[in-house]
Amino acid sequence: MTANFSKLPVLIILTLISLPLGVMYLSLVVDSFTNTPPDSLVPNEFTLEHWRYLIDPTLVGNIWVATVYTLIYAVSMAAIVIGLSATGGYALSRLQLPFRRFFLAGILVMHGFPAVTLIIGVFLVLKFIGLYDTLAGIVLVRAALTLPLGIWVMKGFYDAVPWELEMAGLQDGAGRFTVWWRIIVPQIQPGLMALGALAFIDAWGEFVIPRVLAPTTDFQVLSVFLNSISVPDSVEYNFNIYKAVGLFYTLPVLVLFIVFQNRLMAIFSGGTKG
Amino acid sequence: MTNTASVSGSLEPDVTARPARSEPRKRRYRRGQLFGLAMLAPTLIFVSVFFFAPIILTAVTAFTNMTSATGITGGAYLITPTVVRELQQQGFAPALVQALEQQVIHVDDATLAAAREAGVAENFLADIAANLSGRQFASERDFERELKQFQSRPRRIRDLKLAIEPFTESILNQRFGNRADATAAVYSVAPDVTPAELDTVLKNSYTGWVWTTENFAKLSADKESLRVFLNTVFYVSTTLAFNVLVALFMALALFYLPPTTGSVFSALWLLPRITPVVLYAVMWKWFTWDNGFIANLAGYLGLPSFNYMKGSVPTAWTIVILVNGFVGASLGMILFSGALRAIPRQQLWASEVDGASRLQQVRCIILPQLRWPIMFVTCYQALSLVGSYEQIWLTTNGGPGRTTTVWSLEAFRTALLNYSGNLQYGMGAAMALVLVAGGLVVSIFFLRLFRFNDLVEKPRIEL
Repeated sequence: MTANFSKLPVLIILTLISLPLGVMYLSLVVDSFTNTPPDSLVPNEFTLEHWRYLIDPTLVGNIWVATVYTLIYAVSMAAIVIGLSATGGYALSRLQLPFRRFFLAGILVMHGFPAVTLIIGVFLVLKFIGLYDTLAGIVLVRAALTLPLGIWVMKGFYDAVPWELEMAGLQDGAGRFTVWWRIIVPQIQPGLMALGALAFIDAWGEFVIPRVLAPTTDFQVLSVFLNSISVPDSVEYNFNIYKAVGLFYTLPVLVLFIVFQNRLMAIFSGGTKG
Repeated sequence: MTNTASVSGSLEPDVTARPARSEPRKRRYRRGQLFGLAMLAPTLIFVSVFFFAPIILTAVTAFTNMTSATGITGGAYLITPTVVRELQQQGFAPALVQALEQQVIHVDDATLAAAREAGVAENFLADIAANLSGRQFASERDFERELKQFQSRPRRIRDLKLAIEPFTESILNQRFGNRADATAAVYSVAPDVTPAELDTVLKNSYTGWVWTTENFAKLSADKESLRVFLNTVFYVSTTLAFNVLVALFMALALFYLPPTTGSVFSALWLLPRITPVVLYAVMWKWFTWDNGFIANLAGYLGLPSFNYMKGSVPTAWTIVILVNGFVGASLGMILFSGALRAIPRQQLWASEVDGASRLQQVRCIILPQLRWPIMFVTCYQALSLVGSYEQIWLTTNGGPGRTTTVWSLEAFRTALLNYSGNLQYGMGAAMALVLVAGGLVVSIFFLRLFRFNDLVEKPRIEL
């Protein structure tokens, strides 16, 4: 683009509206390693004391146990979403099904369905089938909530695979299942991995479901852990420790996001449109 | 499925099978359908258990008065002193109230056996059985007077009272498993009760949930629900405006700025979307709480320094809108950026040659071509904002007072996270159902707008 306008005003407005975010994320990192004197905005010393919770469980509780539970939760949820989206998406993209249009419309509607309505019903379902307050219950519920998006995204990836590949396999005598498993799945593997990353990020950050559907603390996940320790009205409230815990909590998500950045952006932007 | 004979793919979309094959076409078609259903089955099961069943349950529950006190399965009939007091307040006939409360004293084999169980002396029991068997007393005092005539009675008044107890019968605090038992019990103490009165008594004493449309009546009558509704409208419209306008501005700015500067800002704006919601809330609390960043900064500048998140209504609303706006803006930003890149550069170059300024370029070339993504983002975000409550719950929690409480947060709290302890599933489900009705209207609009038929292209291979 030619520069027949001044960039400065745009840059200033951009900086101004981004300022709250910039300050919050900068301080998230800086404050977890420094101390700031009271009534000051600028830190004055470097310290690692806010990270002592990693080795000393008496400070805020044992974070490693919560981390392991969060890992189990997120990984099993991502596995379910990948498996079901891979099969369901293929069926909806390539196979002759009765009520195909109906399924696709249903998935779109489900994707936009208000989660609060679901969670009240899900609570009752879990009570009925006896999975209330279990890790398996919240994994299944969380996976079900991501499933419509997953199927829709995978349908988009399947749609992009050329029909000729499939036809070649069929002409050579392979069955539909073999063609899907040996020819098509390798084609959409990047999509599956990106969807897995997305599901993992979703589950890792999930708060409402573990908090409401599994309220006992036997298998506390990190989101519930962080929320339960950060009560601003308590005495001796120290934001810096919570920022250190929070940074620890969000690091895996950041790493995953950076690794899968382009694919995830494709899902964010194109996923909803197929 | 590895049957060579069944393979008859063709590059022509409409020719699905050649005629002179061993297997009839219809059967192959059906096998294709079966395979499709098999691939879809796990998803279908999952979706029906965790999507359709909850939705149906919510709809059903909305027409009940189910709470955590009634439980979610059946109940029993239990006339407690509280129930009787309620009946009295409702203007029930005093005679009937008395009948329900009254204690009747029977002397028969069953009560004698109960007294023996309770450890009443044998010779005393024998006297009672011999003299009073089959009699009935309307009050404890009458019975006591009769008992005092026996030589064998316990000397201590307390023991005498204990001995009376097993003979006393009352329908108060007795649990009746079904309606017939409860009806019989009420008739036993109050034989002249009218069917309407009986019905009221049973209705009031039932501990399980019942079918009712009261939830909706209550919702439409309650002034609070109107306020929450208006809050929701305000919240959705302002946040939506923030989301769409900021996203549009960001996308345009990033489009014109050099890529390196642009990527810093787009990365910064993507962070809220991937940051776990609890951490995001903690950061906002740090930013706006007492002694938080803004409070300190305001103190430096001599401005009022207080808890901006919960201290006053305008600041609370500002925080709520910003918290949700920053999360939502990135989606619009990504979609708009993609759409901007799709605009042919030649159009922009041509306009510059003709001397158009940037504003003219944006207004006359870019915005008309962004109409579709803007509509999409507006609809999509409206839908998700109507149902969103998580961020509000974790930051202002609807406060100060109930000023920033929105419909979905209220539904969630009514049904699932009530501090008073009695979770009102029925009421919460009714509120959620109202929300669905709103969401459904938006999504139908959204499907229409989406030209849904373009998305569901027919499969081209069929066996």
